Amino acid sequence: MTNKQKVPVTILTGFLGSGKTTLLNKILSEEHGKRIAVIENEYGEVGIDQGLVINADEEVFEMSNGCICCTVRGDLIRVLGNLMKRRDKFDYVLVETTGLADPGPVAQTFFMDDEIRSEFSLDGIVTLVDAAHIDQQLGRSDESSEQVAFADVLVLNKTDLVSDESLDTLEARLRDMNRMARVVRSKQADVSVETVLNLGAFDLDQVLERRPSFLEPEYPFEWTGVFQLEPGRYEVSLEEGPDPMMSLVVVANQGTDEESLNEGAESCVRLYAEPAELLHPGDNIPLNKHVNLQLQSEGSKSFSLEVEKSGHLGLFTQHTAEEFDIKVRRMDTSVSESGSNQQNDLLIPPIAERTWVAQHEHDDEVGSIAIERNGNVDPEKLNAWLSRLLSEKGVDIFRMKGFISFADEPRRIVFQGVHMLFTSQPDREWGNEPRQNQLVFIGRNLDEEALQSGFDKCLT
Amino acid sequence: MPDIRELGPQGRGMLHEGWGTEVADYVIVCGWALEGNAFLVGDAAGGLYAFEGKSGTTLWHRKEVHEGSLLAMSIHPDGDIFATAGQDGRVLIWKSKEGESNKALELGKGWVEHLQWSPDGQFLAVVFSQYVYVFGADGEEHWHSDKHPSTVSAVAWSKSNELATACYGRVTFYDVIRAQVNQKLEWQGSLVSMVLSPDGDIVACGSQDNSVHFWRRSTAQDAEMTGYPGKPSQLAFDQTGMVLATGGGERITVWSFQGNGPEGTVPGELDLHIGAISSLAFSNRGSLLASGSRDGSVFVWLLQKNGHGEPLGGAFVGARVEAIAWRPDDCALAAVNANGGINVWDFKNRIKTSPKGFS
Repeated sequence: MTNKQKVPVTILTGFLGSGKTTLLNKILSEEHGKRIAVIENEYGEVGIDQGLVINADEEVFEMSNGCICCTVRGDLIRVLGNLMKRRDKFDYVLVETTGLADPGPVAQTFFMDDEIRSEFSLDGIVTLVDAAHIDQQLGRSDESSEQVAFADVLVLNKTDLVSDESLDTLEARLRDMNRMARVVRSKQADVSVETVLNLGAFDLDQVLERRPSFLEPEYPFEWTGVFQLEPGRYEVSLEEGPDPMMSLVVVANQGTDEESLNEGAESCVRLYAEPAELLHPGDNIPLNKHVNLQLQSEGSKSFSLEVEKSGHLGLFTQHTAEEFDIKVRRMDTSVSESGSNQQNDLLIPPIAERTWVAQHEHDDEVGSIAIERNGNVDPEKLNAWLSRLLSEKGVDIFRMKGFISFADEPRRIVFQGVHMLFTSQPDREWGNEPRQNQLVFIGRNLDEEALQSGFDKCLT
Repeated sequence: MPDIRELGPQGRGMLHEGWGTEVADYVIVCGWALEGNAFLVGDAAGGLYAFEGKSGTTLWHRKEVHEGSLLAMSIHPDGDIFATAGQDGRVLIWKSKEGESNKALELGKGWVEHLQWSPDGQFLAVVFSQYVYVFGADGEEHWHSDKHPSTVSAVAWSKSNELATACYGRVTFYDVIRAQVNQKLEWQGSLVSMVLSPDGDIVACGSQDNSVHFWRRSTAQDAEMTGYPGKPSQLAFDQTGMVLATGGGERITVWSFQGNGPEGTVPGELDLHIGAISSLAFSNRGSLLASGSRDGSVFVWLLQKNGHGEPLGGAFVGARVEAIAWRPDDCALAAVNANGGINVWDFKNRIKTSPKGFS
């Protein structure tokens, strides 16, 4: 009846060949002096060097109610139930799942079974990703995207087999699916043990500190260029790029400092929300209007731009200038008198540029949604909303983490959940910090607007 | 509700101080052998002990009999021999008096978690992952089952030639002499425990989804009892088959099979433990139920046929009560716990009333 320390458990997931066994061996060889039990479901990759290794067949038990959230791993309940009986208990448990395992039942086991819950705590889910093959795997199997979605740490392994450029693209895709996870890169699963063990994975401060840009707004445009232009006619030219169409808004009097750029961006979002006018090469681009440039023809395309008063013109483009090699040139020939380098002389470079966090094209069904609101929430309303949400959408919500402020509670209330199971508990004191709420949902086909408006109704 | 700590290890009410001792590790199994003259205990470090039944003096002690941990023990009905099994994938057959093992059965790489002697003592059922093996007392394999859909979670003998197994989704009855399946009872759920009524007709299983499912073999009727706060791993039938005691929470829920019950009836509830129930055992005769809890408390209850009951005595042993066992004459009760503690209380059995007392 003493207040005993729960034994932390780390779950290692990842497709066959992603390097789980290599990582396991690394952990076992480095964590001297700790008693680590390894529960393995996969046979035959490479042997485990040391530590107590228990082989167990993966036994996924569904309940009679058919609820996937109640599905547990019977083998873990059995094995862990016996392990906890020893006086010289283990300091740590690692569970290695098979490549094709759905991490849901493994994680749920630590919530669903009361005996397991009272003796063990889920420290974190570490998913190994084979950088060379994950793109195909994500397209082919649900398990693969679920393993990414459930992770607290994503180890992007075998990076030596892939170019830096593809790694960046891959990392962006993974972050898009799971914004809660820390992404670490490695060649041969050679990550430091601290990055995968004793994560206290549900410490949200860490999650948020890791990603200052976590809640940065996403705009429907990726690039802004500000041009100093005198009255006259100009040409906007585009080379062949990744899209047969690109939308654009040109605004007058755009400032060049950070604040003006942000203001311009926000007002542009509103213009972007208007239906776009379709322009063909040769057409004139109107100011302060959402347009779509039709870019289907081969080679260079150009559009014209009329400037009546001298000033700063801002181009807010859907794609970056680099992707289409966007150039602005003066078309007024009367200015040109010198002759030879006429073309270059007419090229107008931007006086300021800014690249924005792009609104992601959600190719993957799996994604994450963050909600951040100042103030307090009403406990009853929140409870009612969460209960309804989790009972209706629990199947599609893989994980949820967050903290909440209640007016009468001096401490933050921390939430974490797997599918429709969740726990909440008071965390540190707020002190003088302004009260705020942050929630992150990771799941399949989540409706961001519905989640946000649902949460907003819980605010007091 | 009394503070259970105040009960103390010496016991209150009809539990009277007997003897107590401690072994090296978490006690996993216990039982009475040699007609109540020896109390056998196995711990998580693989230690095996025999204590003299009345005094608690150590008769013998063996260390690390199963590498990893000891997981199961079954005492032969005649009490002279018993079997143990463990994480080393082995079954050992021992002589109770000498503490010597003369037979070792190697099942393979894996855990052996359940063992059960048949009522006539002719066979020993051994669970090895998805298979069940039946050995003779001489250690010769007599029969083994086909592969179950999951690891077998419980076994019980309905008769000396018929064995029941429970696993995910089903209970199967095997005729181990004819090597055939007699009956399959299916239900989608993870069955974690199983008990049969003494006549073998009622099969009750605790399920991972916090329910008790049971079947009547003769009528093929089945029913599900839900609403438990935890999973009912502990189940016990009294010797008449009239009442079924179940854990699955802090309260003991007792279902009565009298009349048309238990379907549609309100169960008896025994409510004194403050932690979840961790062990249940009925006396060998009469309807005395002993219960142990994760909170370290032990109670003895006198049950009525309708499932309701009153406490007769209690004790507090300080750590999770892992197993509880009535001596064959029901005049002593033993409990073993997670701290390696062993407590044996004398019990003045008032079920055996003397007719002289009323003359």
